[in-house]
Amino acid sequence: MPDQELAISQRRMSRRKFMTLGIQVTGAGIGLLIGAPIVGSILSPAFYKGRYPWVMVADIQHVPVGVPTAYVVLLDQGGDAWQVPPVPRTVYVVKLNLNGKVQLLTLSNVCTHMQCDVHWDINLNVFLCPCHGGLYSIDGTNIGGPPPQPLFRYQHKLVGTTLYVRNVLTEG
Amino acid sequence: MAAERSRLAGRLSRPFAGVMATTYRWVDERLGVTDLVHQLLYEAVPRRGAWAYSLGSATLILIVNQIVTGMFLLWTYVPSTTEAWESLNFTERHDEFGAIVRGMHLWGAYVLFVVIGLHMVRTFVSGSYKKPRELNWIVGVVLFLLVLGLGITGAMLPWDQAAYWTATVVTHVVEYFPIFGTQLQEILRGGPQMGPATLTRFFAIHIWLLPALLVPLIGLHLILLRRHGEHGSWVNYEGVEEETAEERARRMAHVEYPYPAIPSDPGYAVPVDLDEFFPSQVFKDSVVSFGLVLLIFVMAVVVGAPLERAANPAALNYVPTPEWFFLPLDQMLVQFPQAWMIPVGVFIVPGIGTTLLILVPFLDRTPGREPWRRPEVMIPALFVVLFLLFEALLAVNRLFNL
Repeated sequence: MPDQELAISQRRMSRRKFMTLGIQVTGAGIGLLIGAPIVGSILSPAFYKGRYPWVMVADIQHVPVGVPTAYVVLLDQGGDAWQVPPVPRTVYVVKLNLNGKVQLLTLSNVCTHMQCDVHWDINLNVFLCPCHGGLYSIDGTNIGGPPPQPLFRYQHKLVGTTLYVRNVLTEG
Repeated sequence: MAAERSRLAGRLSRPFAGVMATTYRWVDERLGVTDLVHQLLYEAVPRRGAWAYSLGSATLILIVNQIVTGMFLLWTYVPSTTEAWESLNFTERHDEFGAIVRGMHLWGAYVLFVVIGLHMVRTFVSGSYKKPRELNWIVGVVLFLLVLGLGITGAMLPWDQAAYWTATVVTHVVEYFPIFGTQLQEILRGGPQMGPATLTRFFAIHIWLLPALLVPLIGLHLILLRRHGEHGSWVNYEGVEEETAEERARRMAHVEYPYPAIPSDPGYAVPVDLDEFFPSQVFKDSVVSFGLVLLIFVMAVVVGAPLERAANPAALNYVPTPEWFFLPLDQMLVQFPQAWMIPVGVFIVPGIGTTLLILVPFLDRTPGREPWRRPEVMIPALFVVLFLLFEALLAVNRLFNL
Protein backbone atom coordinates (compact mmCIF):
# COMPACT_ATOMS: atom_id res chain seq x y z
CA MET A 1 0.00 0.00 0.00
CA PRO A 2 1.58 3.31 -1.12
CA ASP A 3 -0.05 5.26 1.71
CA GLN A 4 1.32 2.92 4.31
CA GLU A 5 4.81 3.08 2.75
CA LEU A 6 4.64 6.86 2.74
CA ALA A 7 3.57 6.86 6.39
CA ILE A 8 6.45 4.52 7.23
CA SER A 9 8.95 6.63 5.34
CA GLN A 10 7.67 9.74 7.10
CA ARG A 11 7.96 7.98 10.41
CA ARG A 12 11.48 6.94 9.40
CA MET A 13 12.30 10.52 8.59
CA SER A 14 11.05 11.68 11.96
CA ARG A 15 13.05 8.91 13.62
CA ARG A 16 16.07 10.06 11.61
CA LYS A 17 15.44 13.67 12.64
CA PHE A 18 15.07 12.58 16.25
CA MET A 19 18.45 10.86 16.16
CA THR A 20 20.08 13.80 14.39
CA LEU A 21 18.72 16.12 17.03
CA GLY A 22 19.86 13.69 19.72
CA ILE A 23 23.38 13.66 18.30
CA GLN A 24 23.45 17.45 18.25
CA VAL A 25 22.11 17.76 21.80
CA THR A 26 24.39 15.11 23.29
CA GLY A 27 27.33 16.54 21.32
CA ALA A 28 26.65 20.00 22.70
CA GLY A 29 26.26 18.42 26.16
CA ILE A 30 29.65 16.72 25.91
CA GLY A 31 31.22 19.99 24.82
CA LEU A 32 29.53 21.89 27.63
CA LEU A 33 30.41 19.36 30.34
CA ILE A 34 34.07 19.32 29.30
CA GLY A 35 34.24 23.02 28.50
CA ALA A 36 32.44 24.63 31.44
CA PRO A 37 34.89 23.58 34.18
CA ILE A 38 37.82 24.52 31.90
CA VAL A 39 36.42 27.99 31.20
CA GLY A 40 35.59 28.46 34.89
CA SER A 41 39.08 27.43 35.88
CA ILE A 42 40.62 29.82 33.36
CA LEU A 43 38.45 32.72 34.51
CA SER A 44 38.68 32.11 38.27
CA PRO A 45 41.86 34.21 38.84
CA ALA A 46 39.91 37.28 37.70
CA PHE A 47 37.60 36.94 40.71
CA TYR A 48 40.18 36.03 43.31
CA LYS A 49 40.43 38.11 46.48
CA GLY A 50 43.74 37.86 48.30
CA ARG A 51 44.78 38.43 51.92
CA TYR A 52 47.83 40.57 52.41
CA PRO A 53 49.63 40.68 55.78
CA TRP A 54 51.76 43.63 56.88
CA VAL A 55 55.51 43.20 56.33
CA MET A 56 58.14 45.18 58.21
CA VAL A 57 60.36 47.33 55.99
CA ALA A 58 62.80 49.02 58.38
CA ASP A 59 63.22 51.74 60.95
CA ILE A 60 63.07 54.79 58.68
CA GLN A 61 64.01 57.42 61.24
CA HIS A 62 67.24 58.26 59.39
CA VAL A 63 65.92 58.25 55.82
CA PRO A 64 66.78 61.75 54.55
CA VAL A 65 64.05 64.06 53.31
CA GLY A 66 64.01 64.43 49.51
CA VAL A 67 66.08 61.34 48.73
CA PRO A 68 64.11 58.27 47.57
CA THR A 69 65.57 55.27 49.36
CA ALA A 70 65.09 51.74 48.06
CA TYR A 71 64.26 48.84 50.38
CA VAL A 72 63.76 45.26 49.31
CA VAL A 73 60.91 43.62 51.17
CA LEU A 74 59.66 40.05 50.97
CA LEU A 75 56.02 40.51 50.06
CA ASP A 76 53.44 37.82 50.53
CA GLN A 77 51.58 37.10 47.29
CA GLY A 78 48.29 37.15 49.17
CA GLY A 79 47.67 33.49 48.55
CA ASP A 80 48.04 34.07 44.80
CA ALA A 81 47.86 30.48 43.51
CA TRP A 82 49.66 28.02 45.79
CA GLN A 83 52.13 28.65 48.56
CA VAL A 84 55.49 29.86 47.32
CA PRO A 85 58.20 31.79 49.12
CA PRO A 86 57.35 35.51 49.45
CA VAL A 87 58.50 37.51 46.45
CA PRO A 88 61.17 40.19 46.87
CA ARG A 89 59.93 43.62 45.78
CA THR A 90 61.50 47.04 45.88
CA VAL A 91 59.76 49.77 47.90
CA TYR A 92 60.96 53.35 47.49
CA VAL A 93 60.59 55.21 50.77
CA VAL A 94 60.23 58.92 49.99
CA LYS A 95 60.05 61.68 52.57
CA LEU A 96 58.77 64.97 51.18
CA ASN A 97 58.84 68.32 52.91
CA LEU A 98 55.45 69.96 52.39
CA ASN A 99 55.43 73.38 54.11
CA GLY A 100 57.42 72.11 57.06
CA LYS A 101 55.36 68.92 57.35
CA VAL A 102 56.98 65.65 56.31
CA GLN A 103 54.89 63.50 53.96
CA LEU A 104 55.81 59.83 53.69
CA LEU A 105 55.35 57.92 50.43
CA THR A 106 56.00 54.22 49.80
CA LEU A 107 56.33 53.97 46.02
CA SER A 108 56.38 50.80 43.98
CA ASN A 109 59.27 50.69 41.49
CA VAL A 110 57.01 49.08 38.88
CA CYS A 111 56.51 51.29 35.84
CA THR A 112 52.83 51.95 35.12
CA HIS A 113 53.42 51.61 31.38
CA MET A 114 54.63 48.02 30.92
CA GLN A 115 55.67 47.19 34.50
CA CYS A 116 59.43 47.29 34.01
CA ASP A 117 61.68 48.17 36.96
CA VAL A 118 62.20 51.93 37.48
CA HIS A 119 65.05 53.38 39.56
CA TRP A 120 65.81 56.80 41.09
CA ASP A 121 68.41 58.56 38.98
CA ILE A 122 70.50 60.72 41.31
CA ASN A 123 71.84 62.89 38.46
CA LEU A 124 68.53 63.66 36.78
CA ASN A 125 66.47 63.65 40.00
CA VAL A 126 63.75 61.55 38.41
CA PHE A 127 62.55 57.97 38.50
CA LEU A 128 63.69 56.48 35.19
CA CYS A 129 62.33 53.41 33.38
CA PRO A 130 64.90 51.67 31.15
CA CYS A 131 62.36 49.89 28.93
CA HIS A 132 60.62 52.72 27.08
CA GLY A 133 61.99 55.83 28.76
CA GLY A 134 59.26 56.63 31.26
CA LEU A 135 60.00 59.47 33.74
CA TYR A 136 58.47 60.18 37.14
CA SER A 137 59.06 63.01 39.59
CA ILE A 138 60.05 62.39 43.22
CA ASP A 139 56.43 61.93 44.33
CA GLY A 140 55.87 59.37 41.57
CA THR A 141 54.00 61.67 39.18
CA ASN A 142 54.50 60.64 35.55
CA ILE A 143 56.26 63.57 33.88
CA GLY A 144 57.54 62.12 30.61
CA GLY A 145 57.56 59.19 28.21
CA PRO A 146 54.78 56.65 27.77
CA PRO A 147 53.56 55.97 31.36
CA PRO A 148 49.81 56.71 31.57
CA GLN A 149 49.64 57.27 35.36
CA PRO A 150 51.81 57.93 38.45
CA LEU A 151 53.75 55.18 40.23
CA PHE A 152 51.58 53.02 42.44
CA ARG A 153 51.99 53.23 46.24
CA TYR A 154 52.08 50.39 48.68
CA GLN A 155 49.70 50.62 51.62
CA HIS A 156 51.84 51.48 54.64
CA LYS A 157 51.63 52.13 58.35
CA LEU A 158 54.09 53.49 60.87
CA VAL A 159 54.59 51.95 64.30
CA GLY A 160 56.78 54.52 65.99
CA THR A 161 59.45 55.03 63.34
CA THR A 162 59.23 51.49 61.99
CA LEU A 163 57.62 51.23 58.55
CA TYR A 164 55.32 48.40 57.51
CA VAL A 165 53.90 47.84 54.02
CA ARG A 166 51.61 45.29 52.53
CA ASN A 167 51.12 44.03 49.01
CA VAL A 168 48.15 46.25 48.23
CA LEU A 169 48.73 49.02 45.72
CA THR A 170 46.88 52.31 45.60
CA GLU A 171 46.96 54.82 42.79
CA GLY A 172 49.42 57.67 43.27
CA MET B 1 46.90 3.46 -13.26
CA ALA B 2 46.94 -0.12 -12.00
CA ALA B 3 49.88 -0.92 -14.25
CA GLU B 4 51.67 2.17 -13.01
CA ARG B 5 51.03 1.13 -9.42
CA SER B 6 52.40 -2.41 -9.85
CA ARG B 7 55.43 -1.02 -11.66
CA LEU B 8 55.96 1.27 -8.67
CA ALA B 9 55.48 -1.56 -6.19
CA GLY B 10 58.14 -3.46 -8.11
CA ARG B 11 60.47 -0.50 -7.92
CA LEU B 12 59.92 0.02 -4.20
CA SER B 13 60.42 -3.66 -3.35
CA ARG B 14 63.47 -4.00 -5.55
CA PRO B 15 66.02 -3.55 -2.74
CA PHE B 16 64.36 -6.42 -0.90
CA ALA B 17 64.75 -10.06 -1.76
CA GLY B 18 63.20 -13.33 -0.66
CA VAL B 19 61.66 -13.07 2.80
CA MET B 20 62.03 -9.30 2.83
CA ALA B 21 60.09 -8.91 -0.40
CA THR B 22 57.40 -11.32 0.84
CA THR B 23 57.12 -9.42 4.11
CA TYR B 24 56.96 -6.10 2.29
CA ARG B 25 54.19 -7.39 0.05
CA TRP B 26 52.30 -8.78 3.08
CA VAL B 27 52.44 -5.43 4.87
CA ASP B 28 51.76 -3.44 1.70
CA GLU B 29 48.59 -5.38 0.91
CA ARG B 30 47.25 -4.46 4.33
CA LEU B 31 48.62 -0.97 4.96
CA GLY B 32 48.87 0.37 1.42
CA VAL B 33 52.40 1.68 1.95
CA THR B 34 53.16 1.79 -1.76
CA ASP B 35 50.05 3.80 -2.52
CA LEU B 36 50.87 6.17 0.30
CA VAL B 37 54.46 6.66 -0.81
CA HIS B 38 53.20 7.10 -4.35
CA GLN B 39 50.82 9.81 -3.23
CA LEU B 40 53.43 11.54 -1.10
CA LEU B 41 56.35 11.49 -3.50
CA TYR B 42 55.11 11.36 -7.07
CA GLU B 43 53.51 14.61 -8.00
CA ALA B 44 54.29 17.30 -10.52
CA VAL B 45 55.93 20.55 -9.35
CA PRO B 46 57.15 23.64 -11.23
CA ARG B 47 60.64 23.09 -12.63
CA ARG B 48 62.20 26.60 -12.67
CA GLY B 49 62.87 28.46 -9.41
CA ALA B 50 62.74 25.25 -7.40
CA TRP B 51 65.43 26.35 -4.93
CA ALA B 52 63.23 29.26 -3.85
CA TYR B 53 60.34 26.83 -3.33
CA SER B 54 62.32 24.86 -0.72
CA LEU B 55 61.54 27.41 2.02
CA GLY B 56 58.21 25.80 2.94
CA SER B 57 59.69 22.36 3.53
CA ALA B 58 62.57 24.03 5.42
CA THR B 59 59.97 25.62 7.69
CA LEU B 60 58.44 22.19 8.25
CA ILE B 61 61.81 20.62 9.11
CA LEU B 62 62.58 23.49 11.51
CA ILE B 63 59.22 23.03 13.26
CA VAL B 64 59.95 19.31 13.58
CA ASN B 65 63.29 20.32 15.15
CA GLN B 66 61.40 22.49 17.66
CA ILE B 67 59.01 19.66 18.56
CA VAL B 68 61.75 17.05 18.96
CA THR B 69 64.19 19.22 20.92
CA GLY B 70 61.29 20.55 23.00
CA MET B 71 60.31 17.02 24.01
CA PHE B 72 63.79 16.35 25.32
CA LEU B 73 64.06 19.69 27.15
CA LEU B 74 61.21 18.34 29.29
CA TRP B 75 63.52 15.64 30.60
CA THR B 76 65.02 18.17 33.01
CA TYR B 77 62.93 21.35 32.86
CA VAL B 78 60.55 21.94 35.81
CA PRO B 79 57.75 24.48 35.20
CA SER B 80 57.90 26.08 38.64
CA THR B 81 58.98 29.58 39.68
CA THR B 82 61.30 28.10 42.29
CA GLU B 83 62.78 25.33 40.12
CA ALA B 84 62.60 26.37 36.44
CA TRP B 85 65.78 28.42 36.58
CA GLU B 86 67.52 25.86 38.81
CA SER B 87 66.72 23.02 36.42
CA LEU B 88 68.05 24.92 33.40
CA ASN B 89 71.08 26.06 35.35
CA PHE B 90 71.75 22.38 36.07
CA THR B 91 71.43 21.62 32.36
CA GLU B 92 73.82 24.41 31.43
CA ARG B 93 76.40 23.45 34.07
CA HIS B 94 76.29 19.68 34.24
CA ASP B 95 74.62 18.37 31.09
CA GLU B 96 76.64 19.44 28.05
CA PHE B 97 74.43 17.63 25.57
CA GLY B 98 71.30 18.97 27.25
CA ALA B 99 72.75 22.45 26.81
CA ILE B 100 73.20 21.73 23.09
CA VAL B 101 69.58 20.52 22.87
CA ARG B 102 68.51 23.76 24.54
CA GLY B 103 70.72 25.73 22.15
CA MET B 104 69.15 23.96 19.17
CA HIS B 105 65.67 24.81 20.48
CA LEU B 106 66.59 28.50 20.79
CA TRP B 107 68.56 28.86 17.56
CA GLY B 108 66.02 26.66 15.81
CA ALA B 109 63.38 29.22 16.80
CA TYR B 110 65.53 32.12 15.58
CA VAL B 111 66.24 30.46 12.22
CA LEU B 112 62.57 29.44 11.98
CA PHE B 113 61.47 33.07 12.22
CA VAL B 114 63.88 34.07 9.46
CA VAL B 115 62.83 31.19 7.19
CA ILE B 116 59.10 31.75 7.77
CA GLY B 117 59.69 35.41 6.92
CA LEU B 118 61.48 34.47 3.68
CA HIS B 119 58.77 31.89 2.88
CA MET B 120 56.11 34.59 3.26
CA VAL B 121 58.10 37.13 1.26
CA ARG B 122 58.63 34.69 -1.61
CA THR B 123 54.94 33.68 -1.58
CA PHE B 124 53.97 37.33 -1.59
CA VAL B 125 56.37 38.35 -4.36
CA SER B 126 55.21 35.51 -6.63
CA GLY B 127 51.53 36.21 -5.94
CA SER B 128 51.06 32.54 -5.02
CA TYR B 129 48.08 33.49 -2.82
CA LYS B 130 45.97 34.23 -5.89
CA LYS B 131 42.96 32.18 -6.98
CA PRO B 132 42.49 29.33 -6.00
CA ARG B 133 45.07 29.45 -3.15
CA GLU B 134 43.60 32.30 -1.04
CA LEU B 135 42.72 30.10 1.92
CA ASN B 136 46.18 28.56 2.08
CA TRP B 137 47.66 32.02 2.45
CA ILE B 138 45.27 32.65 5.36
CA VAL B 139 46.16 29.31 6.99
CA GLY B 140 49.81 30.31 6.55
CA VAL B 141 49.25 33.67 8.28
CA VAL B 142 47.54 31.87 11.19
CA LEU B 143 50.50 29.47 11.37
CA PHE B 144 52.86 32.47 11.45
CA LEU B 145 50.88 34.02 14.32
CA LEU B 146 50.93 30.71 16.22
CA VAL B 147 54.72 30.52 15.79
CA LEU B 148 55.01 34.10 17.08
CA GLY B 149 52.94 33.00 20.09
CA LEU B 150 55.18 29.99 20.59
CA GLY B 151 58.24 32.23 20.41
CA ILE B 152 57.01 34.67 23.03
CA THR B 153 55.65 32.02 25.43
CA GLY B 154 58.88 30.02 25.06
CA ALA B 155 60.90 33.10 25.98
CA MET B 156 59.09 33.23 29.34
CA LEU B 157 59.85 29.69 30.48
CA PRO B 158 63.50 29.87 31.72
CA TRP B 159 62.33 32.26 34.51
CA ASP B 160 65.62 34.08 34.43
CA GLN B 161 65.61 37.88 34.42
CA ALA B 162 64.98 38.08 30.66
CA ALA B 163 62.10 35.59 30.87
CA TYR B 164 60.52 37.15 33.95
CA TRP B 165 60.47 40.67 32.56
CA THR B 166 59.34 39.49 29.13
CA ALA B 167 56.43 37.72 30.82
CA THR B 168 55.69 40.81 32.92
CA VAL B 169 55.52 43.16 29.94
CA VAL B 170 53.62 40.74 27.68
CA THR B 171 50.97 39.95 30.29
CA HIS B 172 50.69 43.63 31.17
CA VAL B 173 49.97 44.62 27.57
CA VAL B 174 46.50 43.03 27.83
CA GLU B 175 45.67 45.31 30.77
CA TYR B 176 45.22 48.09 28.22
CA PHE B 177 42.39 46.13 26.61
CA PRO B 178 39.17 48.14 26.97
CA ILE B 179 36.77 47.26 29.82
CA PHE B 180 38.08 43.74 30.61
CA GLY B 181 41.78 44.63 30.68
CA THR B 182 42.39 43.95 34.37
CA GLN B 183 40.46 40.67 34.28
CA LEU B 184 42.31 39.55 31.16
CA GLN B 185 45.64 40.24 32.83
CA GLU B 186 44.59 38.29 35.93
CA ILE B 187 43.46 35.38 33.77
CA LEU B 188 46.78 35.37 31.91
CA ARG B 189 48.80 35.67 35.12
CA GLY B 190 46.63 33.28 37.11
CA GLY B 191 46.23 35.97 39.75
CA PRO B 192 46.68 39.69 40.30
CA GLN B 193 50.49 39.45 40.17
CA MET B 194 53.21 37.52 38.44
CA GLY B 195 53.33 34.25 40.34
CA PRO B 196 53.64 30.47 40.19
CA ALA B 197 50.42 30.14 38.17
CA THR B 198 51.79 32.54 35.54
CA LEU B 199 54.62 30.18 34.66
CA THR B 200 52.52 27.01 34.67
CA ARG B 201 49.93 28.40 32.30
CA PHE B 202 52.43 29.79 29.83
CA PHE B 203 54.19 26.44 30.00
CA ALA B 204 50.91 24.70 29.15
CA ILE B 205 50.20 27.18 26.35
CA HIS B 206 53.71 26.69 24.95
CA ILE B 207 53.93 22.90 24.99
CA TRP B 208 50.26 21.90 24.45
CA LEU B 209 47.76 24.56 23.47
CA LEU B 210 49.65 26.26 20.63
CA PRO B 211 51.26 23.05 19.23
CA ALA B 212 47.84 21.38 19.30
CA LEU B 213 46.60 24.16 17.02
CA LEU B 214 49.80 24.32 15.00
CA VAL B 215 50.15 20.68 13.98
CA PRO B 216 46.68 20.16 12.43
CA LEU B 217 46.93 23.51 10.66
CA ILE B 218 50.25 22.44 9.15
CA GLY B 219 48.37 19.36 7.92
CA LEU B 220 45.70 21.58 6.36
CA HIS B 221 48.41 23.80 4.83
CA LEU B 222 49.94 20.73 3.13
CA ILE B 223 46.58 19.26 2.07
CA LEU B 224 45.66 22.57 0.43
CA LEU B 225 49.11 22.73 -1.19
CA ARG B 226 48.50 19.29 -2.72
CA ARG B 227 44.92 20.09 -3.66
CA HIS B 228 45.91 22.95 -5.95
CA GLY B 229 49.50 22.02 -6.71
CA GLU B 230 52.44 24.28 -6.13
CA HIS B 231 52.00 27.61 -7.88
CA GLY B 232 55.68 28.44 -8.23
CA SER B 233 56.17 31.93 -9.61
CA TRP B 234 55.97 33.97 -12.80
CA VAL B 235 58.99 32.18 -14.32
CA ASN B 236 56.79 29.06 -14.52
CA TYR B 237 54.10 30.83 -16.52
CA GLU B 238 56.05 32.73 -19.20
CA GLY B 239 53.89 33.50 -22.21
CA VAL B 240 50.70 31.97 -20.81
CA GLU B 241 48.74 35.19 -21.14
CA GLU B 242 49.57 35.47 -24.87
CA GLU B 243 48.99 31.85 -25.86
CA THR B 244 46.09 30.94 -28.12
CA ALA B 245 43.20 28.75 -27.04
CA GLU B 246 44.72 25.91 -29.08
CA GLU B 247 48.11 26.20 -27.46
CA ARG B 248 46.49 26.27 -24.05
CA ALA B 249 44.36 23.22 -24.86
CA ARG B 250 47.48 21.37 -26.06
CA ARG B 251 49.28 22.24 -22.82
CA MET B 252 46.31 21.17 -20.71
CA ALA B 253 46.20 17.83 -22.52
CA HIS B 254 49.44 16.82 -20.82
CA VAL B 255 48.38 17.88 -17.34
CA GLU B 256 49.82 15.88 -14.47
CA TYR B 257 48.62 15.32 -10.88
CA PRO B 258 47.93 17.47 -8.84
CA TYR B 259 47.29 19.99 -11.61
CA PRO B 260 45.20 21.64 -12.99
CA ALA B 261 44.59 24.12 -10.18
CA ILE B 262 40.88 24.97 -10.30
CA PRO B 263 39.47 27.62 -10.43
CA SER B 264 42.41 29.51 -11.92
CA ASP B 265 42.86 32.65 -13.95
CA PRO B 266 43.27 31.79 -17.66
CA GLY B 267 46.65 30.21 -18.34
CA TYR B 268 47.61 29.75 -14.66
CA ALA B 269 46.08 26.31 -14.05
CA VAL B 270 49.31 24.46 -14.89
CA PRO B 271 52.94 25.67 -14.90
CA VAL B 272 54.49 25.49 -18.38
CA ASP B 273 57.45 23.42 -17.17
CA LEU B 274 56.98 20.54 -14.76
CA ASP B 275 59.36 18.37 -12.78
CA GLU B 276 58.96 15.48 -10.36
CA PHE B 277 58.57 16.31 -6.68
CA PHE B 278 60.69 13.23 -6.00
CA PRO B 279 63.58 13.33 -6.40
CA SER B 280 64.14 16.77 -8.01
CA GLN B 281 62.38 19.00 -5.47
CA VAL B 282 62.98 16.73 -2.47
CA PHE B 283 66.72 16.83 -3.20
CA LYS B 284 66.80 20.64 -3.18
CA ASP B 285 64.59 20.72 -0.08
CA SER B 286 66.95 18.31 1.69
CA VAL B 287 70.05 20.32 0.84
CA VAL B 288 68.51 23.57 2.10
CA SER B 289 67.13 21.96 5.27
CA PHE B 290 70.45 20.26 5.98
CA GLY B 291 72.26 23.58 5.68
CA LEU B 292 69.85 25.23 8.10
CA VAL B 293 69.98 22.40 10.65
CA LEU B 294 73.78 22.46 10.42
CA LEU B 295 73.72 26.21 11.08
CA ILE B 296 71.47 25.63 14.10
CA PHE B 297 73.73 22.88 15.40
CA VAL B 298 76.85 25.02 15.05
CA MET B 299 75.19 27.98 16.80
CA ALA B 300 73.94 25.66 19.58
CA VAL B 301 77.44 24.27 20.17
CA VAL B 302 79.40 27.51 19.74
CA VAL B 303 77.03 30.08 21.23
CA GLY B 304 74.37 28.03 23.00
CA ALA B 305 71.32 29.45 24.74
CA PRO B 306 71.96 32.17 27.32
CA LEU B 307 70.64 31.87 30.86
CA GLU B 308 70.65 35.11 32.81
CA ARG B 309 70.48 35.31 36.59
CA ALA B 310 67.36 33.96 38.24
CA ALA B 311 64.27 36.15 38.11
CA ASN B 312 64.37 39.01 40.61
CA PRO B 313 61.09 40.93 40.91
CA ALA B 314 62.85 43.50 43.14
CA ALA B 315 65.33 44.40 40.38
CA LEU B 316 66.38 48.03 40.35
CA ASN B 317 68.71 48.41 37.39
CA TYR B 318 67.86 45.50 35.12
CA VAL B 319 67.14 46.61 31.54
CA PRO B 320 64.57 44.26 30.01
CA THR B 321 65.01 43.76 26.27
CA PRO B 322 62.48 41.96 24.07
CA GLU B 323 63.33 39.02 21.82
CA TRP B 324 64.56 40.42 18.48
CA PHE B 325 61.46 39.36 16.57
CA PHE B 326 59.33 41.59 18.84
CA LEU B 327 61.55 44.69 18.54
CA PRO B 328 59.23 46.58 16.12
CA LEU B 329 56.27 46.09 18.49
CA ASP B 330 58.41 47.16 21.46
CA GLN B 331 59.41 50.33 19.64
CA MET B 332 55.74 51.16 19.11
CA LEU B 333 55.29 51.07 22.90
CA VAL B 334 57.59 54.10 23.02
CA GLN B 335 55.90 55.83 20.09
CA PHE B 336 52.38 55.50 21.49
CA PRO B 337 52.73 57.09 24.95
CA GLN B 338 50.13 58.05 27.53
CA ALA B 339 46.76 56.69 28.43
CA TRP B 340 44.56 56.53 25.33
CA MET B 341 47.41 56.11 22.82
CA ILE B 342 48.76 52.91 24.40
CA PRO B 343 45.85 50.69 23.30
CA VAL B 344 46.27 52.14 19.80
CA GLY B 345 49.91 51.04 19.79
CA VAL B 346 49.38 47.58 21.25
CA PHE B 347 46.02 46.54 19.76
CA ILE B 348 44.79 48.74 16.93
CA VAL B 349 47.97 49.18 14.84
CA PRO B 350 49.11 45.51 15.09
CA GLY B 351 45.47 44.46 14.65
CA ILE B 352 45.15 46.44 11.43
CA GLY B 353 48.48 45.04 10.24
CA THR B 354 47.39 41.45 10.92
CA THR B 355 44.00 42.00 9.27
CA LEU B 356 45.65 43.42 6.15
CA LEU B 357 48.04 40.46 6.08
CA ILE B 358 45.13 38.01 6.22
CA LEU B 359 43.21 39.92 3.54
CA VAL B 360 46.14 40.14 1.09
CA PRO B 361 44.59 37.65 -1.41
CA PHE B 362 41.40 39.71 -1.55
CA LEU B 363 43.10 43.11 -1.64
CA ASP B 364 45.37 42.20 -4.55
CA ARG B 365 43.11 42.57 -7.63
CA THR B 366 46.01 42.73 -10.12
CA PRO B 367 45.77 40.23 -13.01
CA GLY B 368 49.47 39.36 -13.44
CA ARG B 369 51.94 37.40 -11.36
CA GLU B 370 55.19 39.32 -11.97
CA PRO B 371 56.00 41.65 -9.06
CA TRP B 372 56.77 44.54 -11.42
CA ARG B 373 53.27 44.24 -12.84
CA ARG B 374 51.74 44.48 -9.34
CA PRO B 375 53.06 47.82 -8.00
CA GLU B 376 49.72 48.40 -6.19
CA VAL B 377 50.63 45.67 -3.69
CA MET B 378 54.42 45.48 -3.99
CA ILE B 379 55.07 49.13 -3.10
CA PRO B 380 52.86 49.20 0.04
CA ALA B 381 54.33 45.84 1.13
CA LEU B 382 57.84 47.18 0.63
CA PHE B 383 56.96 50.16 2.82
CA VAL B 384 55.59 47.86 5.54
CA VAL B 385 58.77 45.74 5.53
CA LEU B 386 60.99 48.86 5.56
CA PHE B 387 58.85 50.30 8.38
CA LEU B 388 59.27 47.14 10.49
CA LEU B 389 63.04 47.08 9.86
CA PHE B 390 63.27 50.79 10.70
CA GLU B 391 61.32 50.28 13.93
CA ALA B 392 63.56 47.35 14.88
CA LEU B 393 66.62 49.51 14.18
CA LEU B 394 65.25 52.34 16.35
CA ALA B 395 64.58 49.86 19.15
CA VAL B 396 68.09 48.38 18.93
CA ASN B 397 69.55 51.87 19.01
CA ARG B 398 67.40 52.79 22.02
CA LEU B 399 68.14 49.65 24.01
CA PHE B 400 71.76 49.04 23.13
CA ASN B 401 72.97 52.58 22.24
CA LEU B 402 74.55 51.78 18.88
